[in-house]
Amino acid sequence: MTTAIVYGDNAKMSKKLTKVEFTNLKKIIFPDLKTTKSQIIEFYITVAPKMLAFLSDRLAVLKRFPDGIDEEGFYEKDAPQGTPSWVKTKKIRSETAKRDVNYVLCNDLDTLIWLANLATIEIHIPFSKADSLEKPDMMLFDVDPEPPATYKDAATVALLLKRKLDEIGLECYVKTSGKKGLHVVIPIVQEHSFKETRKFVHKIGRQLAEEKELVVSELAEAKKPGKVFVDYLQNSHGRTMVSPYSLRAVPEATVSTPLEWAEVEKGIKPTDFNIFSVVKRDKDPWKKIFENKQRLMV
Amino acid sequence: MNVPRRPIWTGILTIGLVNVPVKLYPMIYDRGISFRFLHKSDGQPLKYQKVCTKDQKIIPWPEVAKGYEILKNEYVIFDKEELEAIKPESDKRIRLDKFVDYFSVDPIHFNRSYVLMPDKITDAYSLLLTVFEKKGKAGVGRITLRTKEYPALVHAYKGAIILTTLRYSYDVIDPKGFEDLKKLKEPEKAELDLAFKIVTDLSGEFDITEYEDNYKQRVEELIKKKMKGETVTVEKPVEEEAKGLMAALRDTLKQLEKK
Repeated sequence: MTTAIVYGDNAKMSKKLTKVEFTNLKKIIFPDLKTTKSQIIEFYITVAPKMLAFLSDRLAVLKRFPDGIDEEGFYEKDAPQGTPSWVKTKKIRSETAKRDVNYVLCNDLDTLIWLANLATIEIHIPFSKADSLEKPDMMLFDVDPEPPATYKDAATVALLLKRKLDEIGLECYVKTSGKKGLHVVIPIVQEHSFKETRKFVHKIGRQLAEEKELVVSELAEAKKPGKVFVDYLQNSHGRTMVSPYSLRAVPEATVSTPLEWAEVEKGIKPTDFNIFSVVKRDKDPWKKIFENKQRLMV
Repeated sequence: MNVPRRPIWTGILTIGLVNVPVKLYPMIYDRGISFRFLHKSDGQPLKYQKVCTKDQKIIPWPEVAKGYEILKNEYVIFDKEELEAIKPESDKRIRLDKFVDYFSVDPIHFNRSYVLMPDKITDAYSLLLTVFEKKGKAGVGRITLRTKEYPALVHAYKGAIILTTLRYSYDVIDPKGFEDLKKLKEPEKAELDLAFKIVTDLSGEFDITEYEDNYKQRVEELIKKKMKGETVTVEKPVEEEAKGLMAALRDTLKQLEKK
């Protein structure tokens, strides 16, 4: 004889899977695709197991589009009014704004769902963790093609960059930006300053530019038509990149997607990685990125 | 605390030859939210009318009689006066027949409670209250309120004498009639021990103020907003739409648990 005894929290858990109260689920967020907020939330729920590692303990910068991406969205650093008490936040003094900014730390699934329910489309993350803001644990080469250069040119440059980094013994990771570019990232031990990472990325960029007509390494040349800019400037305190697995507020609802280098070699199209395809993707090429923190020789 | 200002009944509580003059106040209120039906287009209140089932004509009150169905569609018909004549008169007395242990009366039989207050003379009231309190006893008797006679229990509660009308035995079902009860097996010892442990772990003091009507609170908030002239956007219950999300949530929670 078996007895079913419903006991304690399990009973509540089965009833309530999330603390978030969903609102306006039918609101259209991507008008071209007729994608609703419900689908946005489902997307973030589905990618959460892969994504949360990148959001945890970082000061999130949100780009929200409550009226859909065809209307003006807004960047948000401060935790919005009505932030529930269970959402973790961290106050940081902003010298430029001359006030405290209360950032959201998206450390768990409920917070991510809550952000999605607020029509947060893009989540941007800094290169350092909230408890050691001055010591980055990631370094970014932002490979950005200027038309008529295309994502194919960006891929060519990213592969050159990888070869160069391989030569000096640094393992790097690549993701689509969700737009035309690619992000090449090296996880690093938290011993270096932003000045050092910036200098390092700039140095590699300059070497590439010397070797390859296609590449430019200086901000002044960034907008030269047909060139690919290897941007080092994001490696600074307070600067961010779009998080791996974040949606982008573009009509195709693309996703900044971690790739295998083999995929880049074969040739990819950034728009192939979108709200519908990424949830079906088994690959998680950045899964062990933080187990592979490397030291720079500077 | 607000208490009602006027008694709804005054009379005499009778125990054998002892009489205690009392006033009876209402004690139980239904403070849930109630609405009035309005005409959607112009907001005018709507009322009920008696409509003849044969020709849909509205029947005025003087033409309405009461009928008792003896066979399908066959009624004996009564005039108002006929029924009035046999209604019990309230004789302004609460007659107590005997005293019982208060806790021997199962609350299943409780119908509605009223507060009894002394009417001018307080000594007898005070004496009776003290006896109830010290002995844990309650008086059982009868009262006629308006035109209905009830069995009643008179007992002490928070330093006052309370009258609680009771339900007649034929108004309460005996659960023994359910077949399911006859198939119950004895629980095994291990299960019983676990269940006892759970009961012990979850034991606490009864406190009715821990429970609130959430629906009522939400309606009251809406009313406040409307009174301030805010437009209230009606959000459809998300249940149906959220179902797909729940499936995704379950998957993700499972994956996160594995980590």
